[in-house]
Amino acid sequence: MEKITLGTRNVSIEFPGVKALTDVNFEVSTGEIHALVGANGAGKSTLMKVLAGANPDYTGEVYLNDQVVELRTTLAAKKLGIQIVYQEVDMALIPTLSVAENVMLNDTVMNGRYIMNWRSLYKRAAEVLQRLNIQVDTHKLVQDLSLAQKQMVLIARAIVNECNFLILDEPTAPLSDTETEELFRLVKHLQATENIAIIFISHRINEIIRICERYTVMRNGMVVDTTEITPQTTTKEIVDKMLGRSFEENFPKEIADIGEDLFSVEHLSGADGKVSDVSFHVRKGEIVGIAGLVGAGKSELCKTLFGAYEKTGGTVKMGGRELKIKNPSQALKSRIALVPEERRKEGVLVNETVSFNVTAASLDDYCTASFLNKRKIDQAGEEYVEKLGVKTPSVRQLVKNLSGGNQQKVAVAKWMAADCDLYIFDEPTKGVDVGAKQDIFHLICEIARRGNGVIYASCENSELLSITDRMYVLFDGQIMAELETAKTSEDEIMHYAVGNRAQYA
Amino acid sequence: MTQVTPKPNMAAMPGRKKSVGKFLIDWAAVLTLAVSVIAFTLIKGNRFMSTNNMINILRAMSITTVFGIAATVTMAPDGFDMSACTLASCSAYVFVSMYLWHGLPLIVCVLISILVTIIMYQLTMFLILVCKIPDMLATCALMFVHQGLGQWYIGGGAVSTGMRTPAGADPKRIKLGEDFLAIGKEPWLIIIMLACVLIAYIFLEHTKHGRFIYAMGGNRQAARLSGINVKAYRYLAGMITAVFIAIGGILVSSRGSSAQVMCCDNYLMQALAAVFVGRTVGGAEKPNALGTMIGALLVATLENGLTICAVPFYILPAVKGAVLALALIAAYATKKEQ
Repeated sequence: MEKITLGTRNVSIEFPGVKALTDVNFEVSTGEIHALVGANGAGKSTLMKVLAGANPDYTGEVYLNDQVVELRTTLAAKKLGIQIVYQEVDMALIPTLSVAENVMLNDTVMNGRYIMNWRSLYKRAAEVLQRLNIQVDTHKLVQDLSLAQKQMVLIARAIVNECNFLILDEPTAPLSDTETEELFRLVKHLQATENIAIIFISHRINEIIRICERYTVMRNGMVVDTTEITPQTTTKEIVDKMLGRSFEENFPKEIADIGEDLFSVEHLSGADGKVSDVSFHVRKGEIVGIAGLVGAGKSELCKTLFGAYEKTGGTVKMGGRELKIKNPSQALKSRIALVPEERRKEGVLVNETVSFNVTAASLDDYCTASFLNKRKIDQAGEEYVEKLGVKTPSVRQLVKNLSGGNQQKVAVAKWMAADCDLYIFDEPTKGVDVGAKQDIFHLICEIARRGNGVIYASCENSELLSITDRMYVLFDGQIMAELETAKTSEDEIMHYAVGNRAQYA
Repeated sequence: MTQVTPKPNMAAMPGRKKSVGKFLIDWAAVLTLAVSVIAFTLIKGNRFMSTNNMINILRAMSITTVFGIAATVTMAPDGFDMSACTLASCSAYVFVSMYLWHGLPLIVCVLISILVTIIMYQLTMFLILVCKIPDMLATCALMFVHQGLGQWYIGGGAVSTGMRTPAGADPKRIKLGEDFLAIGKEPWLIIIMLACVLIAYIFLEHTKHGRFIYAMGGNRQAARLSGINVKAYRYLAGMITAVFIAIGGILVSSRGSSAQVMCCDNYLMQALAAVFVGRTVGGAEKPNALGTMIGALLVATLENGLTICAVPFYILPAVKGAVLALALIAAYATKKEQ
């Protein structure tokens, strides 16, 4: 088999206000499994989108063997044999069609025929699946498949037509251990039987060391290093490169008095098995971090605590009293607040005004016998807009017209106005710029200083290190370790977050 | 996910642009109303623009408005009820049968009709909230259930004066009272309509319950995570809808001096049209009571004016349809692709 090489030379990309990629040189050849690692926001997905033709505005050049190619459309990339399987598999599949139809979807769209040839479609799909050694009934509907099977259907779709470069964007993040094994078997099988290069993006460093031959580390939109993986390669070595030496962006921790136990959880399980046997406690005035990689079950844990996901076992106690929370409305009555991760979808009511959003969780305080006191509501809006530095022309502005950081502040304000005892923050700084980030940190510290408990879930370890007092590291829905923030390091968090059970040395 | 999120531009606050185009689209329904009133007045003068004719218009719009209000309250939390008007027919059967067959006082008949409607609405809520069937599908099935059950109760024939009960008994009343007929005539018909609009307006705009219902309609998940008990509020909206449905059924039977078989069924589409036109009024982008009234008024005015201009009545549905289509164009064609 002839070896084909795909590479980028000085590729840069600029988004408004952010340089996402800077002079990236990256190269893969068929026959290898190449890992791409980096912290969140390092530019991995952006680079892969360039190769997939989904980022047409790049500067610099992409070459195939020695020839410069233009990857300005996804079609151009597909024609060159570059296929990408994104992490959100459900976005790319049509649940109500059969496995075979999904496998052959690109082909059906592109083959230019007007009449379906069902026999050939099912035959070819079965052949592809057999080539990959995947056992799935081609007549089954995709909605009835497991997540791992869906991923395999997408991989099968990618190799229906000529495919020399297969990009897998965090394929293992949502998979269980056995499903991951099955995926690895498939990847190895592909490597052995096809003339193909697999680019493998993952946060789980252990996996990378196991199945990849080379790895490239990215940091802040730049390629830091490309190296062979040898038996001597260690997790620590890769993590060090990912983080670099410098991570300034430090936030001076504001000290709050830590009091007695406020909230405790014992053997909590739920969220369809994504949270299992979790025990921890939060004290008054304490900020407790939940660390872990994307997909570790942090959001699921937060939402289970808030009653948004079903709890299947364990006890939750507030101030020594056991809570029975079945839905978010009861959580609010138990004085628990959640600032969810997907703020546009879950955190704010985008079609309502700033002042209504701010008062939404505590509207009783602004009503006289159920009737709204609009003047009071707007006053509360003004108060929190000023307190939190929300940038809005007026409190009557609809929230959908605010920027991301300001929407997040509104979501925080909603719960500050509600006056709860325990505040759960799920990735509060996601998509928020540095200035707003600092404001949100101040708010969270102020909440703790008032004697409330705070749970702060984030995959940004540097944030956890700067704002929390204590933290628990989550992996696959289980707590791997409890760490004192003052005595731990980013390396130690990473050590447990990638699934190591052994004591960190 | 390792996606680089573009930094939000804090300096550029994308405030709502108050452009002329947006103004015209937001107020298209009201402008159309004004233009048509002026046009009809110019063409037909006093035959259109007279107190009597204005009352005609109000009378014509009143029942549609009441059903429209019922639909508004259902649609505010992003619900939908295809069976509203078949249920209203049942309310009408109950109302008139109580009055004629059992000779009960008017106010008792009204209350029983409302109560029966609320009880029957439990079935709707059961299918939607407990069985989790999408609103559209559940109420589509119920439409037939209501039709069958209602006609079973009245024995397949209309409930009107001089008719025996299905069991063959003589009715207690042989004549409709003045009070019964007054409900379906001005001024009471119009007063009841205005009261319904006002109550729905205050409930939706000025109480916290109303705001919670709108919050659900905007984003159910966000509303739930704000601690709003979304099921309880969907149920509340359903119960209020049931009351308005019953009132609609009562108005129809009083106005028709009887409860004819399926007397209310045809109001559904008109009521929905009024709600859809009303959604666009003032750029509200959600079903609202005042908008619904304006929607019903617009349709009634056009029908009335065109009839005076001697346009054959059988063409009028096309006009109604065109108005609805234009309102929907104003609401959707201007939206950006997601």
